[in-house]
Amino acid sequence: MSVLGPQAEAERQKIRQQFEAGTSARETLLALCDLADHHVRQIFDEVLRVQDREPEGLCLLALGGYGRRMLFPYSDLDILFLFGSERTEQEFRPLISEFSRTLWDLGFRVSSAGRTLEECKRIEEDNAEFHLALLDRRFLAGDSTLFEKLDEKVLPGSEKQARPFLLAQLHKLTRDRLTRYGNTIFHLEPNVKDSPGGMRDYQAIIWLRQLSEEKKGIRNITAAEEELCASAVDFLSATRCFLHYSNGRNDNTLTYELQEAAAARALGIGDGVARTAADWMRQYFRQARTLNRHLLRYLEQKAPVPLTLRQRLFSAARVSKYDAGDSKYFHIRDGLLEVTDLSALSDRTVTYSLFAEAAGTGTPLSREAERSIGYVLIHPELPPKNTEMCWEKLREILGSDYPGLALRPMQRLGLLTEILPEFGLIDSLVVRDFYHRYTVDEHTLRTIEHLQELADPPDERGAHFIQLWKTVDRRDLLILALLLHDVGKGMPVGNHVTGSLAALDSAAKRLRLSPEEKAEIRSLIEHHLEMSATVQRRDIFDPATVAGFAESVTNLERLQRLCLLTYADIHAVNPEALTPWKAEMLWQLFVATSNYFSRTLDRDRLHAHDEVSLLGRIKACAGDGASNEEIERFLDGFPRRYLAAHSPQEIAAHFSLYRKLSEEPVQTQVTPTQHGFALTLLTPDRPVLFATISGVLAGWGMNINKADAFANAAGIILDTFYFTDLHRTLELNPSEIARFRKCLEDVLNGKSALEPLLKGRVIRGRTPKVTVPTHINFDDSSSAHCTLLEIVTQDHPGLLYEMGSALARQGCNIEVALIDTEGHKAIDVFYLTAQGKKLTPQKQELLREVLQGTLG
Amino acid sequence: MVKLEAIIQPSRFESVKDALREIGVEGMTVTEVRGHGRQKGHTEVYRGREYTVDLLPKIKLEMVLPDNLVNRVVDTILKSAKTGKIGDGKIFLSRVDEAIRIRNEERGENAL
Repeated sequence: MSVLGPQAEAERQKIRQQFEAGTSARETLLALCDLADHHVRQIFDEVLRVQDREPEGLCLLALGGYGRRMLFPYSDLDILFLFGSERTEQEFRPLISEFSRTLWDLGFRVSSAGRTLEECKRIEEDNAEFHLALLDRRFLAGDSTLFEKLDEKVLPGSEKQARPFLLAQLHKLTRDRLTRYGNTIFHLEPNVKDSPGGMRDYQAIIWLRQLSEEKKGIRNITAAEEELCASAVDFLSATRCFLHYSNGRNDNTLTYELQEAAAARALGIGDGVARTAADWMRQYFRQARTLNRHLLRYLEQKAPVPLTLRQRLFSAARVSKYDAGDSKYFHIRDGLLEVTDLSALSDRTVTYSLFAEAAGTGTPLSREAERSIGYVLIHPELPPKNTEMCWEKLREILGSDYPGLALRPMQRLGLLTEILPEFGLIDSLVVRDFYHRYTVDEHTLRTIEHLQELADPPDERGAHFIQLWKTVDRRDLLILALLLHDVGKGMPVGNHVTGSLAALDSAAKRLRLSPEEKAEIRSLIEHHLEMSATVQRRDIFDPATVAGFAESVTNLERLQRLCLLTYADIHAVNPEALTPWKAEMLWQLFVATSNYFSRTLDRDRLHAHDEVSLLGRIKACAGDGASNEEIERFLDGFPRRYLAAHSPQEIAAHFSLYRKLSEEPVQTQVTPTQHGFALTLLTPDRPVLFATISGVLAGWGMNINKADAFANAAGIILDTFYFTDLHRTLELNPSEIARFRKCLEDVLNGKSALEPLLKGRVIRGRTPKVTVPTHINFDDSSSAHCTLLEIVTQDHPGLLYEMGSALARQGCNIEVALIDTEGHKAIDVFYLTAQGKKLTPQKQELLREVLQGTLG
Repeated sequence: MVKLEAIIQPSRFESVKDALREIGVEGMTVTEVRGHGRQKGHTEVYRGREYTVDLLPKIKLEMVLPDNLVNRVVDTILKSAKTGKIGDGKIFLSRVDEAIRIRNEERGENAL
């Protein structure tokens, strides 16, 4: 026995040298397996001989990877001692101890289990791993008739019976493992055995195949896909062998240092051409992606748990719904989008509608659908049509509730880089960083997924941000900013933000973004680290910090987007990066800055003469005849927020209305919006104006969701009301729009009365499902000239008319108003004066009582 | 040996860390904590909902120091963490009987 140790070691060294000289991983694993087999048998025979025993009633089986003849240099030998009966187990116990000890002494790490034949019939529900490893059983030594009995008589029956259980357990174990690694292959230092795309994925595929008794594997799998999978296994096997040899132990972490070393020797590629670590890692991720995709398709097809009746009914309902629309190309089955007409996918418009459907409804594409798209993309017999993605279509995807459900498969299929080639710069890019856990592209997609998770956040960290995500305006700009915010990391620039901004320039030109859209995204990218830095390095409870930060962000809408971007960006660094502590700090800064904006609206007024570029843009939009002086007169004195709330085109349209005021003192415009209509009204200031407009809208049955009311220095009021048409009056009868405008103008010009309109109109609707308590707050400190009134109350049609009337009855003038709703909650801020001054404390108390009485 | 625990403003953490590094202190344990002493919290109202911050965010630094370094470290923290306002934090010192490096079982100041 004493000679066996050095002999085994010499043979191990020889195998290692051959691997390092270029022998394939497959041959290396076989050689290691043969070496182990040889010694196991030799020692077993020797122990039997010494103890003068025959092997009757005992045999040795190799299990797991060793059973499959894939033994890595420092992996354990999984061995099962199979006994004919409990009695033989007792008799052989000393022999087994001796056998195991000898193997250890020879440098073999043994991981053993003992079972009687009878025990193998029973399924141990708390040890599914053992039964799964048994699927790879291979006879090693001992009583071969005992093995035959197990292999041909005992196990086929019990495995058949236990198949649903084992399948379910395998699904659970695999899903748990994938979840433990964040369901992504893109780790900066991946574990080539356990992380997604690692060798365990391959093992799971083998077991899924065995359990589902499919000789050919996945439904519709092609020979080319099988081949790709086999080469991925070869690449990963080579990497794992290399890691074992380099570490001198069973350590499967592909560290930065070993990435360098693997790249230098072109490990797994075979051409001997040294690469940079980043390039070699791209190869690694390509192979890991192949294996992981293979596994996920298996898991999806072999889902052991059938859908519930409710889920099936839901899916059935969805199918019929889409039959009426674009559904001739796709439908929903088992909660996943499936393609019904493969040939239609050559038209990119259809493909993009499928992604838009996923993003809009939250229904993921099935792996099969993704595969179909992939097939069409690479097969020339189906030449692509309509390949250009316009901004309008992309906006639909990016602005949806679940953009990640579209962007993730688009990235896997290469479509994201087709639309946004700049994103290709960070494809599978490893940037060494102490904090980041994922590659840059993975980090980016995770930011977007963390935002869509806010529909139903998995933990307390997202709780504050739920409403913000639901109500944020122009989500598409936020998502495009996120897609580009780290692209500069793939460029040879000192500061990645500079690179990302350059990428925005090219993307904006190609997608034909408007200058305002580009400027908004630019600002988000430029400031994407600022909110996080302020939270961590500044005293966020210091009003000066808040004021400084607000000045940098410039407006509330941008603050909302920046806050969500920062939340997502920190969250996607690694699972622990966004601690509840940091999330709370971020929220506190957001709240303080948001309040700062709504309380300082009248501080920052426009001096149009200084806004040269703005004047130019408005003049360009306004067309002939507009002079700078005229535009300046119109803009002078509006709160700066007016610029943030309206595009230059809208401002130019307002200016056109302003120019007509000399002909008609009330100018109105009604335009359809995504969720209803927008009413714009310009007129010289007059008492009870806001309440009257709200009253006319209520009289027509319109529900105001959002509004702002501004006045310029010349006392021209510009009010914008966004409302939903509860009875679809305007929607179904476009001619009614003109009648509505005429009615409004007549009431404001005193040609007709408001009261008859409101008579008979039931202003209060049904009892609301959610009750919002009324909250009234006066603030005298935020504005130099006005008293701020903040009201939060239950929203209902006619609410603004009730509030506006109450304010007017108390002699209050509304200088600025910001009206918003959040579900059943109305959130309104009024800047009030009475006889040109702030409200006295007595007036405030009286108003509080009146409003409390009106609003309940 | 002395164990030093310092509760400081999060906004001062980077400065404190840099100042400690300059005098040769590399090792420390940092924890995100919440609490309050004389500095009370405050309430912000956002969209009708009150957000009361009665436990303010702070950073807790912990380190065990050889006796000869204690005064220097305390001075450094005082200088770099001070803003002069309520809420700047506190430093606590306590004696440590023994330190053991797990890797090689070194003991005493050698283990620090």
